[in-house]
Amino acid sequence: MAEQAGSRPLRLLHLFPTTLGLNGESGNVDILRRRAESRGVPVEVTRLEAGAVVPAGVDLVFIGSGPVSAQMQTQAAVLAVAEPLRALAASGVPFLAIGAGFQLLGQSITLADGTGLTGASVFPVTTIVAGERVVGDFVVESRLGMLAGFENRGSYVDIGSNAPIGHVVYGRGNVAASGPGAGASAAAIAASGATAEGTVLVAPDDRVEGFWVENLIGTHLHGPVLANNPALADWLLEAALVRRGQTLPLATPDLVEIDRRASEARATIMAAPLSE
Amino acid sequence: MGFRTTTAVLVGRAVRVAARARGGGSAIPGNIALKINPRFLEDTIARIPLGVVAVSGSNGKSTTTNMLAGILREHGLKVFTNPSGGNLPQGIASSVLSSVSLSGVLDADIAILEVDEGYGPKITKMLQPSTVLLLNIQIDQLNRYHEPDRVVRMLEEVASTATRSLVLNRDDNHLVDLDTRLGSAFTGSRAVTFFGASPELIGAAAHGLASADRFGDDSRGDGSSRIAVGGREADVTVTDIGDSQAVLGIDGRDIAVRLPARGLHYALDAAGATAAARAVLGDRFRPGLVTAALNGLTTVYGRGELLQVAGEDIEIIMMKNPASLQLNLDSLESAPEQVFMAVDEGTPDPSWVYDIDLSSLDHVDVITGSKAWQFAVRFGYANIPVGTVDLDVRAAVKQFLALPRPSKGRKTMILNYEQMMAIRKILGFKELEGGGQ
Repeated sequence: MAEQAGSRPLRLLHLFPTTLGLNGESGNVDILRRRAESRGVPVEVTRLEAGAVVPAGVDLVFIGSGPVSAQMQTQAAVLAVAEPLRALAASGVPFLAIGAGFQLLGQSITLADGTGLTGASVFPVTTIVAGERVVGDFVVESRLGMLAGFENRGSYVDIGSNAPIGHVVYGRGNVAASGPGAGASAAAIAASGATAEGTVLVAPDDRVEGFWVENLIGTHLHGPVLANNPALADWLLEAALVRRGQTLPLATPDLVEIDRRASEARATIMAAPLSE
Repeated sequence: MGFRTTTAVLVGRAVRVAARARGGGSAIPGNIALKINPRFLEDTIARIPLGVVAVSGSNGKSTTTNMLAGILREHGLKVFTNPSGGNLPQGIASSVLSSVSLSGVLDADIAILEVDEGYGPKITKMLQPSTVLLLNIQIDQLNRYHEPDRVVRMLEEVASTATRSLVLNRDDNHLVDLDTRLGSAFTGSRAVTFFGASPELIGAAAHGLASADRFGDDSRGDGSSRIAVGGREADVTVTDIGDSQAVLGIDGRDIAVRLPARGLHYALDAAGATAAARAVLGDRFRPGLVTAALNGLTTVYGRGELLQVAGEDIEIIMMKNPASLQLNLDSLESAPEQVFMAVDEGTPDPSWVYDIDLSSLDHVDVITGSKAWQFAVRFGYANIPVGTVDLDVRAAVKQFLALPRPSKGRKTMILNYEQMMAIRKILGFKELEGGGQ
């Protein structure tokens, strides 16, 4: 299987790991690396901090979440690399952007006091810090099946008419629900003891999560997101390899065992999701 | 003291008796007392002659409160305190119920209260502590506090309520200069003192003190640069640590103290308690009494505690949050022989376990609790073998206890707070946190 990989390692760019590293975000990078290396695909991770330049030959980009203070501190550094990042996105390099990092790669962020922060415009989305904070389990129905994890945010993301990752089964999503059944809050559903499946029936509404257009994925799903959802990790690796004319080799036994556990983890969350 | 207080005491006590008979519900009596008299805490605690010392921070509150109470008792004071974990208003009220007279008088010279960070601003505004001791700000309960920065602001509010003195950890990224952020109106009329550890000890710890990162505001308002962490003169300094003991430097004098378990974080708790005792007692403080006090303490349970079950020792490692887990793992002498882990909804978002260096474990035998599979995934990625995962806590405990006796005679349990409480009960230990004595 090593022939598959070719001679050049898969180049993973981890943006601002020091400031945007809350919620075990670096776990996503470790997971991508492990899932490639177990299959004989060598990986090279570049941790890009403020002031550094974007290296050549990047195959996959990751940016994580962080507190508002870190977001403000990192904004200038993000703008400084905005152009090369947009070029990577335009050339089809897959991006996974989480929370505050996703917001910074959008067009703008309006903070609680009305201050505006300009983003890198990699993602055509805008963020407004507003509304009641949502904290709790998070289940989203995606093209890869059910994604599960944790939601913890106090802002709204406007993705315009672009495609989301999928419909929210449990939790809030990009903005407060406005469709039929929107009044049924996640907490009330939890209190009623409804299951994830039951929730869909109880509260059919228009809640959607994140952004997923071509190879650009942005979300507020934590966990870290790739821990509970290995299918998403493999999709990103596959997308990165396809651009190089390669395919992702089959999962090795160690990954199969990890994926069995992740599937149990998702099932446990979906069987009894909770919020605060 | 008034009818409402007497009623609150009577009804609360009756509920307490009922709750204890059932073996649970330790915060309920306090809750009821507060419903009957919303000023129950002010009416009882605020009248104690030497006032209140409030202890807060992300980790070590229970251990430090226990140490400080011990040191002050050794100096001859009658101390009222809230047993470990009972740090919300209802928990404190439950503690009051166990020692207050019907007229609302607490027979104590001073109150030492462990205060929850989230409720801290409310509780301290109510009780006007003479002294505030702040231990650390670490990544903790982000599901509840959302961001470390919010905890910083809450503890700044708690600090600002101190009427006489403020005691801070100089080796914490956020606490080292917290006093400067309270303004001259505050610092002009309060004594601010510090505790810490020698730079060599901090440098030698695998992950330092796990203090939460601080972003932004590199310079102060006047353009001068921020005080670097560690850059304050400390009243009490940890100068050496050994196995379950430490040396504290106080005014150029070294004293040896016993700790609840291995670990620099416990030594810092002892330094914080000692610095607070010094701030409270002034000229009456005797360094020699600190040694005697800390030698005589029993461990606050779940904090480096050893339980005896069927002739075997079970070491409890708390994983309240990333910092406490990392520091406790760092202080293990070798990879534990038999490992049990239980994590439930008390840790709603365990993402942070991906920030933890787990290399001091070489395997885990049994994992349980509703987060068990998420931890099993983490161990998978860390290449740490996992024996079995069983979401049924009782069955998992039974399976772990049935393992052959370890050669060193010690089994290890890594538990979140809620599972620590549940499993103590399963193992037949009946005492409750947050309730009466």
